[in-house]
Amino acid sequence: MEGKPVKMFALRFLILLLSAPIFFATPAFSEEGNNSFWHMSGEYVAEETYVGEGDVERGGKHVNDFDEIDSNLRFVLTPRTSIGVLRLGAEWERFSFGFPEKTALPNTLQSFSTVIGLDMQFSDSIIVRAEGQPGLYDSGLGHLDWDDFNLPFLVGGTYIFSPNVQLVLGVSVDVERKYPVIPAAGLRWKLAPQWLLDAVLPTPRLQYEMNRHVSLYAGATFKEASYRVDEDFGDSHGITRLNNAIVTYSEVRTGAGFDWKISPIVTFTGEVGYQPYRDFDFYRAEVRYHQDGGAPYGTISLHGAF
Amino acid sequence: MSVMKPEKLSLHRHSSTRVCGVVFSLSLFSIGLTIARADPVSELASFSIFDKVDLAQLAKSDVKTAHGPPMRNPRFLAVQSCYVSGGSPSQQMDALRRWDATRHRELKVFLHSDLPSNPAPGNFEKLKNAPDNASVRSFVAATQKLSSDLQVSREEAKKFSAGTGGAGGGAIPAPVVAFWSDVLTARTKSFVSGGMAAQPSYDHAGPSIRASDEVNGLLREQEKIRRQFSGLLGATGIGRGAGSLKPELYWELLDVDDQGVVTLGASYSRSGAAGTFQAADVLYYASGGYYVALTLYQLWPVTVEGKPSTLAWRGDMISAASLGSLHGVERLGSESVMMKNISKAVTLFRRDSGGR
Repeated sequence: MEGKPVKMFALRFLILLLSAPIFFATPAFSEEGNNSFWHMSGEYVAEETYVGEGDVERGGKHVNDFDEIDSNLRFVLTPRTSIGVLRLGAEWERFSFGFPEKTALPNTLQSFSTVIGLDMQFSDSIIVRAEGQPGLYDSGLGHLDWDDFNLPFLVGGTYIFSPNVQLVLGVSVDVERKYPVIPAAGLRWKLAPQWLLDAVLPTPRLQYEMNRHVSLYAGATFKEASYRVDEDFGDSHGITRLNNAIVTYSEVRTGAGFDWKISPIVTFTGEVGYQPYRDFDFYRAEVRYHQDGGAPYGTISLHGAF
Repeated sequence: MSVMKPEKLSLHRHSSTRVCGVVFSLSLFSIGLTIARADPVSELASFSIFDKVDLAQLAKSDVKTAHGPPMRNPRFLAVQSCYVSGGSPSQQMDALRRWDATRHRELKVFLHSDLPSNPAPGNFEKLKNAPDNASVRSFVAATQKLSSDLQVSREEAKKFSAGTGGAGGGAIPAPVVAFWSDVLTARTKSFVSGGMAAQPSYDHAGPSIRASDEVNGLLREQEKIRRQFSGLLGATGIGRGAGSLKPELYWELLDVDDQGVVTLGASYSRSGAAGTFQAADVLYYASGGYYVALTLYQLWPVTVEGKPSTLAWRGDMISAASLGSLHGVERLGSESVMMKNISKAVTLFRRDSGGR
């Protein structure tokens, strides 16, 4: 038996992977999230946003000084399988608006959806995600109907150019939306050890890592979804063609915030900013309320992965 | 075939009443071995993730990489790769020994030095010549404030506080050089005398982590690989006491995630039956970034288009705290980057060595 020393420099390439935590991971948060009590990985979000008094306008009709509460709960299991990482879970989101009476806009937009998706490794450079959110998208629990069912989905790919640079291309599909197919592109670039440009929808950010527990960021949040209002919504709000109509709600928030990593699986986020864009579009009925006055907002969130 | 000696010797210890059975078993074993040696692809399929490999196609293509089996410990990650290179396995091993990867800047290895089996602090004096860059500066800063990210033992950390009053020097101040020279010297000596089992824990801050436990955990979660390399690993200091094989020792200053890290490594190899080779390279100590990293090699002689060639399998595995915080697609992304980096490394090696 012959024993020979050998030097395999190639190994050292291996450790470059440690600069690779991508897709929202924060490398310096190096504590181990070992959920030994449950060998199942997943992610969750519990988020609440309050938007102060804003205004919208339609053909000279103003709706002023209404506020908004956006509540969001999301839980997704991410088990590893031979074909990739499955994404199985559920999400609830509700927008509550404080409209004045007789406003031809729904006070509540709400969705209960399941999350069904898959992350697949196509090569050592390409990861593809396909995810659908079949569920009920309506204006409250009053009149649940199969008409409320919708299946928005997205397909996106990440090209890993290097551990520090990734390009993202994707397409969002919602047949109930005014523009059913919306393509998007993004870039994730670790500019410096503490600086990360995460220009990927729906939450593009520039992030600065203060220390292993706290990061600061400035960025935006884009939200858009379609909901079906009640069968008698138009009758009760004076525009009959809005009965059972589809409304696409869009908003953009711009602000700054912080992520505080409380534990390996719990992060608290606080964010404040200004909402410069909001739009309620019953595009099939040709009734559209667009932004007339922005509003400040604040968000708190608990989220994490395990 | 020297690798067969232990089995043959053990045969003679059996009593006469069992000879026939043992001989029969040995015959079957030998036949199996012959088949396996005659068919490297089958042997590759028996322990690796590559269950179907077309040699002719692989010879024409780049390195093939795949993520290893999912492991329960979130700190662990493994990638396997295989490729065909021109020349025999022994020529490939020689090429590996000769290959100077420091010529490739993307490796981010700032300093490399081989070590004798009985090193002294002077063997680490190259630290004084470390480049003045952000990575090295952060390494110095972490040392001076004894950052909780530093992977040292409590005893080692105490030694630093006694040496902080010294004069400055180059990119790395003299007290920092002295501290790390002492730590690395002592750890190398303990590896030589007692293998990884003798390495002090990383317990300066946070939970105690033993590099030997980590490497054993990595191997335990990849049972087929552990079995395939049990003979080689049993003769090394990897995850155990000092082995019978003499390692080639080295240290390096490198960049891990924009942080300077000093690391200690040991490499082993041995020839096997029918011109095969196995090799192992372990980074058994790191001042940060990762706990332990292990690369295993299996090389078989094959003939492709009438030319002597080598079918190479390589398994890279690592344990790192930062991996524990990755989940779902993040983990997939890290695996992709690891696969990409390994592909790049193998491609560079094959290009430099004329293997492709």
